[in-house]
Amino acid sequence: MTDDLSSPQPPETEAGVATAEDGVVLLDGPDGVAVTMTPAAARSTGESLIEAARRAEAQLAARRS
Amino acid sequence: MLTDRFLRDRRGVSLDAGERARLEAAISTTSTVEARKIIARAGQWLDQSTLLVEGIMSRYLDDRDGLRQLVAIHLPGDFVDLHAYPLKHLDHDVGTMTPATIAIVPHVELDAITEEMPELTRKLWFATLLDAAIHRAWLFRLGRLDAIGRVAHFFCETNVRLQSAGLSDGRQFTLGLTQADVAEICGLTTVHVNRVVRHLREEGLCTFRNGKVEILDAAKLARRGQFDPAYLYIDDPASPPPPDQRPRR
Repeated sequence: MTDDLSSPQPPETEAGVATAEDGVVLLDGPDGVAVTMTPAAARSTGESLIEAARRAEAQLAARRS
Repeated sequence: MLTDRFLRDRRGVSLDAGERARLEAAISTTSTVEARKIIARAGQWLDQSTLLVEGIMSRYLDDRDGLRQLVAIHLPGDFVDLHAYPLKHLDHDVGTMTPATIAIVPHVELDAITEEMPELTRKLWFATLLDAAIHRAWLFRLGRLDAIGRVAHFFCETNVRLQSAGLSDGRQFTLGLTQADVAEICGLTTVHVNRVVRHLREEGLCTFRNGKVEILDAAKLARRGQFDPAYLYIDDPASPPPPDQRPRR
């Protein structure tokens, strides 16, 4: 008897949580994400995430049309 | 005896008196080593393996910037580099985290044990496979768990391992590591570990201060760290070992 292997990990639907601690930014989750960044790196990551989210939404819209 | 803690309380593989005596006789020297000393370097030719008698040791890799990832922690009773017996060199460095007492077993002695005592050889193999099982748990921890889960999992695992070695009562144990060490184990920064430790304390799960861990709610801590001790193959007195793990003659 065999069981099917589970499918590859789906995209995370829960948002990560960012907090400030001792002058750095901690990003926890989703899943195994646990990163400490300087404020500048955190700001740049945030901007990059927002831009990538915009592009991904455009890709989904293009796929639907 | 120097080997008292080796495979103590492990499922179906505890050493009998003759095996323990043979392993004791295989030890060529013992020594004490200061904390934070390198015992073996990656690539170095090895003709001996190290049994950790007291203290804590680690295996680690440094990235190109010199930042360290601890890939294994060894506790009293562990054969730290038994896998160097067939490999003859390691792909990582091995060092002490705390002052340690170590016993050296030359590989020629392991050759002799392999020829003379197949059952003891199987138990040595078991010890190496146990290391591999722990490595898999560490991969899971780093790949799937968030910061709190990683630290919770590490404390749960260390508690069970130390309990097996007779060095934890299941509720509290001495862990001569710093928050920076825990950070290198869990792939976190020290700031992150500091926040996680505070969270664990505030949630009533455990405390970690001055090198001591106190577990306040073992079940909740295990749940938070998704910790299942099955991979540590600890003896359960309530259930006999499966037939293929019963001591053979």
